[in-house]
Amino acid sequence: MPNTRGGLAAVLLAFLAAWGAVPVLAQSDDPLGVGRKMLAEDNPGELWIERGKALFHQKRGPKGVSLEQCDFGQGPGKLEGATVRLPRYFPDTNKVQDLESRLLSCMVQLQGFNRDDIVKRAISPAGSDGSDVEALALYITSRSNGMKMDVSLSHQKEYDMYKAGEYLFYRRSGQTDFACVQCHGEANRRIRLQDLIHMTDKKGVQEVVSTWPAYRGAHFTVRTMQWRLYDCFWQMRLPELKYASDTSIALITYLHYQGNGAVIGVPGFKR
Amino acid sequence: MRKAGLMWTVFGAAALIAAGCATYPDPATTRQMAEKMVSEDFTAPAPALLKRLAQDRSQSICSKIGDAKLTQEEAAEVVKLARASIQYPASGKLVGNWKIGDDLAHDGAGDRIQGGRLEKRKENGGLCQNCHALAPDEINVGNVGPSLTGYGLKLGNSEAIVKLTYERIYNAWAYSPCANMPRLGATRHLTPEQITHMVAYLLDPASPINKR
Repeated sequence: MPNTRGGLAAVLLAFLAAWGAVPVLAQSDDPLGVGRKMLAEDNPGELWIERGKALFHQKRGPKGVSLEQCDFGQGPGKLEGATVRLPRYFPDTNKVQDLESRLLSCMVQLQGFNRDDIVKRAISPAGSDGSDVEALALYITSRSNGMKMDVSLSHQKEYDMYKAGEYLFYRRSGQTDFACVQCHGEANRRIRLQDLIHMTDKKGVQEVVSTWPAYRGAHFTVRTMQWRLYDCFWQMRLPELKYASDTSIALITYLHYQGNGAVIGVPGFKR
Repeated sequence: MRKAGLMWTVFGAAALIAAGCATYPDPATTRQMAEKMVSEDFTAPAPALLKRLAQDRSQSICSKIGDAKLTQEEAAEVVKLARASIQYPASGKLVGNWKIGDDLAHDGAGDRIQGGRLEKRKENGGLCQNCHALAPDEINVGNVGPSLTGYGLKLGNSEAIVKLTYERIYNAWAYSPCANMPRLGATRHLTPEQITHMVAYLLDPASPINKR
């Protein structure tokens, strides 16, 4: 399985790079660091890749077809390097879509699944085996491992999504007065002991866009970017972000475009 | 005349888009699109909870994009609104119980919405630990905000400091317009009484925060 081994190597490299970037002092200050590092070296998320691959090729849903005809922008079934160009505009849906909303379209249109059913199960309970969407998102993204994020803006709707995402990143609301930037606008910041990624910095935003889906240690399962955004809004005391909504796609478009050039290495590992 | 000019601008923009010359939308269009998304893309167990997404005047001013700076007029307006928002406890006593304040400072729960349910408790946690260093021996503290270790040792506990501390927790924007610090009292995350306990936690010489 040269593919899997390459993937592992890329993950390891990504983590080594990440640790290299952390100041030595911060490491010794962090009693969780050792455990975190041990887990990252043997990322359990790898197990989800094979499952996602099987799900992708299986004939499933009311229509009994596989996802092999699903077009992520490179042509039907072409997954190599597909996610580095996402989000992007798709003429058939007339929408800008990220990986997960595109996957949803295919599961509904090609396989005949009920949209609400998939959405309801998309984010799995902590400690579970994970959802089909989580496994599929990881498998599909892993097919871009080692490649550079390369989102382009050309269609008017892509420009619109990018700018809306930027606006939302800075939009403060709710009883905590938070936008994204309150926690992710400066270097070397933590919420309690958890590092906050500095997303208005090129290197920081590149780390974000290249490490999801990721194995989330605290949940014992694989999480996706859609979950990451949902969870931030939860902590901000805001209402629940709808899965695959335009708000989520706008934020992902903004972050991915800012993170262009990042080398994909999934699954990432998060505390 | 002006109408004709506008017409040409619209035609021109449409022609540019048709010709593949798509470009960034202007700020007003961006705002309109993004606000529409916000109004459609969230769910809550009760319609009233969706109002949390609506911005008040100060939040709207404080949502500058990128490196854009507050103008002097905007900063003055935010300060003025913040001053007007501050309410004091019915008792008039601004210093409560530091032990209750200690618990509050380390409580990050309350009022979150998940799985169609509101995390309803009698009172919300104070969230301090998430962003501020607290007692000198504490490791599990954040650093998004400044360290509060030795706060009372540095500032004393005069009447003026008590009032300042209360007001800064109630509405930090009265002193630092658009700071990252939430307006914990003004947004009703905390009650005035809860804030008096946090004032005590910060200022009481016996509080762990002021341990040497």
